[in-house]
Amino acid sequence: MSCGAPGTPSRPPAVQSGSAVPAPTIRAVLAALATTAALTLPLWLESPYFLHVVIMAGIFGVLALSLNLLLGYTGQLSLGHAAFFGIGAYASALLTLRLEWSFWLALPGAVALAALAGWLIGRLALKLRGAYFVLVTISFAGVVALVSVNWMELTNGPLGLPGVPAPTLGPWSLRGKRAYYYLVLAAVLLAYLVCRRLVGSRIGRAFVALRENEALAESVGVDVTHYLVLAAVVSAAMAGLAGSLYAHYTRFVSPEVFLFSYTVTMVIMVVAGGKGTLAGPLVGALIFTVLPEALRAVVSWQWQMLAYGVLLVLLVVFLPRGVVPAIAALRNRRAS
Amino acid sequence: MAELLQHLVNGLVLGGTYALLGIGLTLIFGLMNVVNFAHGEFYTLGAYATFAALGLAGAHFFVAVLAAIACGTALGALCELVLLRPLRAESIDTTMLVMIGVWIAMQNGELLIWGGVAKSIPHPFPTAPLVLGPVSIAPLRVFVLVLAAGLIVTAYLLIHTTRLGTAMRATFQDRDTAALMGVRIGRMHTATFAFGSGLAAAAGALLGPVFLAYPSMGDLASLKAFSVVILGGLGNLPGATLGGLLLGVAEEFGAGYVSSGYRDAVGFVIIIVVLLFRPAGLFARSERIG
Amino acid sequence: MTRRCLVLAALVAAATLAASLNVSAQAPIRIGVIEPLSGPVAASGNYVRMGAEIARDWINARGGVDGRKVELRIEDNKSDPKEAASAAEKLIVRDRVPAIMGAWGSSMTLAAMPKLEEYGVPMVVETSSAATITKRGNPWIFRISPPSEMEALGLEQYVDRLGVRRADFLAVNTDWGRGAISAFGDMLKKKGVAVGAAEYMEQAATDMNAQLTKIKGTGGDTLFLTTAVEQITLVMKQAQEQRLERRIVTTGGSSSPTQLIKQAGAAAEGSYHIVFFMPWFPEAMPDGKLARAFVDEWGKRGHPFEGLTEGFRGHDGIATIAEAIRVAGRDEPKAVRDALWRVSLVGVNGPIKFEKDGPAGKESGQSKPSIFVVQIRDGKVALPDFLAKK
Repeated sequence: MSCGAPGTPSRPPAVQSGSAVPAPTIRAVLAALATTAALTLPLWLESPYFLHVVIMAGIFGVLALSLNLLLGYTGQLSLGHAAFFGIGAYASALLTLRLEWSFWLALPGAVALAALAGWLIGRLALKLRGAYFVLVTISFAGVVALVSVNWMELTNGPLGLPGVPAPTLGPWSLRGKRAYYYLVLAAVLLAYLVCRRLVGSRIGRAFVALRENEALAESVGVDVTHYLVLAAVVSAAMAGLAGSLYAHYTRFVSPEVFLFSYTVTMVIMVVAGGKGTLAGPLVGALIFTVLPEALRAVVSWQWQMLAYGVLLVLLVVFLPRGVVPAIAALRNRRAS
Repeated sequence: MAELLQHLVNGLVLGGTYALLGIGLTLIFGLMNVVNFAHGEFYTLGAYATFAALGLAGAHFFVAVLAAIACGTALGALCELVLLRPLRAESIDTTMLVMIGVWIAMQNGELLIWGGVAKSIPHPFPTAPLVLGPVSIAPLRVFVLVLAAGLIVTAYLLIHTTRLGTAMRATFQDRDTAALMGVRIGRMHTATFAFGSGLAAAAGALLGPVFLAYPSMGDLASLKAFSVVILGGLGNLPGATLGGLLLGVAEEFGAGYVSSGYRDAVGFVIIIVVLLFRPAGLFARSERIG
Repeated sequence: MTRRCLVLAALVAAATLAASLNVSAQAPIRIGVIEPLSGPVAASGNYVRMGAEIARDWINARGGVDGRKVELRIEDNKSDPKEAASAAEKLIVRDRVPAIMGAWGSSMTLAAMPKLEEYGVPMVVETSSAATITKRGNPWIFRISPPSEMEALGLEQYVDRLGVRRADFLAVNTDWGRGAISAFGDMLKKKGVAVGAAEYMEQAATDMNAQLTKIKGTGGDTLFLTTAVEQITLVMKQAQEQRLERRIVTTGGSSSPTQLIKQAGAAAEGSYHIVFFMPWFPEAMPDGKLARAFVDEWGKRGHPFEGLTEGFRGHDGIATIAEAIRVAGRDEPKAVRDALWRVSLVGVNGPIKFEKDGPAGKESGQSKPSIFVVQIRDGKVALPDFLAKK
């Protein structure tokens, strides 16, 4: 499976007629441009609305990366991922609201709690694969959602938790969008790096072995369940991170974070972006955060959701492997 | 005691409707391995088609129900031909994603056509309940149960006794051998998906008058259908039937005696427990995992 | 494959380009509207939108506000708080609206509230019932709908006449349903009424037989029902199937009795409904002429009659904002906010004037809307039997 991840070793430049600049230099320049653009974004992106969209894309990017670990690399589809997102959001909100912890303590707290939930799922679903794993994750998410609605004393039920405090860094408040953008950017980078290290390591290869041929992997001594649990824990922890970022950005957490539509959106981002690649989920997150907002501007409200559904179908039919693999395939074809 | 009996009757009636939802999906998900999130939308379509047939054409109730089933079957066949066939070589997530797109498109299309206000579907049955001792049950629900049972039996016979059914099962058990034996693989895929969708539309046509028709009615139905399929075992028709009944009764007793707020949790917890201990389904003949 | 890729890329590029074009129109006054226009409560959101459109057209027919036409910028919050916040951001930043009406559900309203404070733009809340909305110390919130506590107070005077001795509750498991159970429960207990069971149903649930069987066993005489009209229909039909013989009182104003009669038929007979608009007797409303005109206009546009019990909210919300802009003399958010404290007008529901609510120094505005009780008798909506005899 071709991998569109930037930074993977490139093949020796093919000398084509008419091509004066070798490929790696172009790629390096583009990478430098992209990095500069990302680092200075709040300076040149005037509209706070656009900045808002980018921040949401970043949060969902972390989410998509987390789902990709399970779906793309171990091949297991978790349709309950919104549960980890929601647990992270609620944990962070409650720790800062009720126990008055600082954001910088609540964040790892939320990550830890989400990781614990991931461990639970991993252990529960030990022997389950494919469709059965999917159903267990859906059921788990369903139970967590119902608890958040009904356990009024803990979560305030459907009324939600308004007034979640924004993070502060010493004397500076990170309430403003510009500052928060950098926080989210840091999180995205962290998540990306963690994924990349994991995927490139022995653990990553074990994941792929689990996905491609589990029986074979077991027969050569790969402790398959151990790696599945590990994938679930890291994946859930990352989703919890995204949840915490979400809670302190929107400053309102309600049971709607457990809505199935969040999980669906995540899945769309990963699969349409390109599962099993590292850039795919990020590209998918960007496209599918911008798309509904773009539709808001272009299409009147009656047609927005219908257009969204149709565009999704078209995207899947024309680019079944996802955007990033399609671009990579295009590049390969051009190069050969 | 009267309360317990009423709960039991409620549960069985509810379970019958769940079973009806499950048998179509167990074919599509169980045999074809398509995670069909649009299953609930075919259910919704069945209800709206009945409504349209009754309203526009002024057709008789039973004719309207048949028309709705035909509609669902046809649209299912179309979906398979246009969307699923080109993606057949792709992974399960890709087909799932395309069905998610169909789900969003269908639901919002229905919203656009019929509006968000729930529609009441008229039916020819009396509204006064049948009273059997301490227990009450509406005549319409009895009709639905009877018809559902009939559909389930028909489906089972079709799959297990006819040549078409045998060809279907062969296709999904071992495609290459089936092809060698002369089975038209493409046709079998289309037929199976159409059949499963037709069953979903039938459920919608029957349940539309019991409840109401509105665009988002399929979301919960999809989820329950998946639960029933897992309970019964993928591809297992009698399993789905029993699974549906079990889920209905469990939910009813959970809501009645434990907590109505956590009612849906009952279904989820059952799924988790079943999957932990008998992942092939409660009624599978052999233990098979994954 | 390549050509397909290009087509797709072009589509995405076009959409993004269009989104970035700054569509500006200086002259008209833009008012933002955030409602659930898709998803499970799409019907209600759309009714509010229809009412808002009538208000806009009436205002423009009378020459607009200070000679400027009013334009509605309508956004769908998809019944999702995250979308409500995004919609608010887009309306404030891109459309530069001086005021917003929204966002129907309490969670949606609460999610949009931080944005109001961030940018300093007022919002008129037309439907949400959660008490916290006006108690959070957000000085940009002005509510014209009653919180559940106010509703319960509105019913208090009739509790004895209804003859309620032992009440049960069945409510949708949202902030609205829970808030109603809490508010009405407190009010009834103060009047010495015993409260029996409090059962819940999920928003999307269609089968409530379990809860009804349980309620049947409590021996109460009145069932208080709080949910949307579709679920009320189902509850009534299933209550009839289970032969649950007791008085039903629906709260929240979303029961649309006309629709109930159509869809629940005999099962709805005798039930009482708390409503905030009586389109069956418009002349009995505080401004009878306005109410009658609204009902007529609604009918002329071919909108379903059953939507009137919710559509009026859209009218009153827009009328309030337009009046505030007129009083302020300009469509600038802070001026509009200050003007909202000074407005006094009569909407379809009745007089609208904001009182302070919430923590000192950061009060929100809360109006005191009129509350009515009607009953379904002989297949028609009528004044309740305990009022009819004079």
